Amino acid sequence: MQRPVSSLPLSQAVRLKLGSAGFQLTSDLQDFKPDKLSKETGLSEEEAVEVLKAVKGGGGGGSGDVSASVTALELLQKEEELRSIVTFSSQLDESLGGGIPVGKITEVCGVPGIGKTQLCLQLAVDVQVPQCFGGVEGQAMFIDTEGSFLLQRVTDIAAAAVRHCSLLAEDDEQRAAMETFTVETILSNIFLVRCHDYVELLAELHLLPDFLSQHPKIRLLVIDSVAFPFRLLFDELSQRTRLLNGVGQQLITMAINYNIAVVITNQMTTRIRDGQSHIVPALGECWGHAPTIRLLLQWEGSRRLATIFKSPCHMETMVQYQITPEGFRDADQSEMPQNKRPRMDTDQSAADPKDTSS
Amino acid sequence: MNCDQLLLHPRVSAALRRVQLKSVQDVVCASAPDLQRLTGLSNSDVQQLITAAAAACRRHPPITAQQLQHGVSGVRLGCPVLDRLLRGGLPVGGITELAGESGTGKTQVGLQLSLSVQYPAEHGGLGAGALYVCTEDSFPIKRLHQLIGEQVCLRSDVPADLVNSLRFSDHVYIEHAADLDSLQVCLTRRARLLLARGLVRLIVVDSVAALFRAEFQADDWLERNRRLLTFSSTLHHLSQEFSTPVLCINQVTDVFSQSHNSMGPSSSTVSPALGLAWANQVMVRLMMRRLQGTVIRGEQSSALRRLEVVFAPHLARDGQDTAVWREGLRGVESWTSNRK
Repeated sequence: MQRPVSSLPLSQAVRLKLGSAGFQLTSDLQDFKPDKLSKETGLSEEEAVEVLKAVKGGGGGGSGDVSASVTALELLQKEEELRSIVTFSSQLDESLGGGIPVGKITEVCGVPGIGKTQLCLQLAVDVQVPQCFGGVEGQAMFIDTEGSFLLQRVTDIAAAAVRHCSLLAEDDEQRAAMETFTVETILSNIFLVRCHDYVELLAELHLLPDFLSQHPKIRLLVIDSVAFPFRLLFDELSQRTRLLNGVGQQLITMAINYNIAVVITNQMTTRIRDGQSHIVPALGECWGHAPTIRLLLQWEGSRRLATIFKSPCHMETMVQYQITPEGFRDADQSEMPQNKRPRMDTDQSAADPKDTSS
Repeated sequence: MNCDQLLLHPRVSAALRRVQLKSVQDVVCASAPDLQRLTGLSNSDVQQLITAAAAACRRHPPITAQQLQHGVSGVRLGCPVLDRLLRGGLPVGGITELAGESGTGKTQVGLQLSLSVQYPAEHGGLGAGALYVCTEDSFPIKRLHQLIGEQVCLRSDVPADLVNSLRFSDHVYIEHAADLDSLQVCLTRRARLLLARGLVRLIVVDSVAALFRAEFQADDWLERNRRLLTFSSTLHHLSQEFSTPVLCINQVTDVFSQSHNSMGPSSSTVSPALGLAWANQVMVRLMMRRLQGTVIRGEQSSALRRLEVVFAPHLARDGQDTAVWREGLRGVESWTSNRK
């Protein structure tokens, strides 16, 4: 393939040296050995090896520019194979088309006390629901910046999920799965990191790809919340924007490469516009572009509402939910509805049309 | 932390010294292409550098939820009814806020906690003293002595000789902060010293609103928010570093109209002061309200109050009727109180 050398993912200095030595297209570099290349261009041996790797395609692990392209049909099939993580609120799951999608970033914003952390804890438990119950059967990674990951609450939610699934267990496969779906195993499958400021958060994100490679069963990454450590950077807003953009890039790369759902929570802030004050998600307009889906949790009177207000594939819908001692649930329901059954009876692939009558 | 302390290839260390990139934080906050351009190192060298710097910044590797310590619940109030509402007491690692109108008994809660923290862990305390920072009125020392005298009566679950052996007044450290600067100094120096020496395992700030409302005009809200964030960040760091619960007492402000984007279910006419910026920093929010009615017990009588949980990660939205007696706050369980 004829490609100009300047389009390869290499550093500026290397490209300059290649250019001044007369290498314009990748075909010029085809038959070179590293030591010969370094002699001709003045690059170090290691840099020469890198150049040749980039030319052969792949630069060491799918760096995007040089990897093979995929057709839209392949993408559609891949997406349909990916399951979503249920939230145990059937109305919210329905409006999201099954649940929180894997491979995308979902942001949850809301005022303090509305239920953002509760939703995150619920998801950290729900990601572990066995596949024979329609779940993803993965592990969860929870990055806690506010200190709100309290073991008491996680245990409550885990116990309620186990109770719910054991009531639904019908056949032998499900009963066998319930042996390994207990409160203890649920807790052992949630990895927790506490970050106390934005530098620790950035460091954790840099080390995350290695961690995800070592634990390939992780299907969910939660950051609760991403706003808390960054709100302190009020003096250097341009640095904050730059750092947040970097964070957004890293998260979407991880979501796609490691097949995980990324859920981040954001705080609200007041913005004065036209003489009136509005409550809007924090971290600015730039950050709003990073997540794929944005959920807004808010109060209306004494009701809690969840609104999908940004999503490329869902309508803007508003559903009511409640927080019970068992966790995040639909409003006005004390027991799980019967419409959970179709999910188990149908074929394991999530490509089947869902039974939307509820 | 310095980059010299990392284990790096000599080529990488030389490049770092050349561009005078000293601290590990700068490396973590810079992007890979920026570092490449700055140092002239290759991609893999830069990745190795970032990984080493990030590993140095990290305090603990990830643990599973199962490995978390169970039962480090915090400091109890001393009344079993109220402790049941709070599921064990004030949690560690975040800010607990108690808001209410004046005269509802918020200071009483602060005083009661300053005593209950001194009991050993098996009796709901943390075995150390309390730092009480006053910003409004002077410290109610007479009331503290009265509470100390009545501890045997309040804490009937603890053996009397244990209660009598604790020297309560020796372990309540009182500070007065008249303005924001002295408050910040008190927290960064004196509080840190007391916590590091293990003398104190509870910080009470009474109250948070007084200084912030007094020192700023209405249009200075940007500056006020900055100072508020700095203050709460200091408290958070202390709370997490020393596993110490922090109680911030707050005033309330009137709510005139329930706008569409309200911060809570519309049920009360007052809401905690200092707005959304402060609310975002708080992990547990409690409110104390005065109710109509009095409770009579023997020859004492007390106005009825209600301690409510507004939000908390581990508590349901619930409330408990409370009364203030000579020995302190107690939840009122039975319906024999005279409620009008």
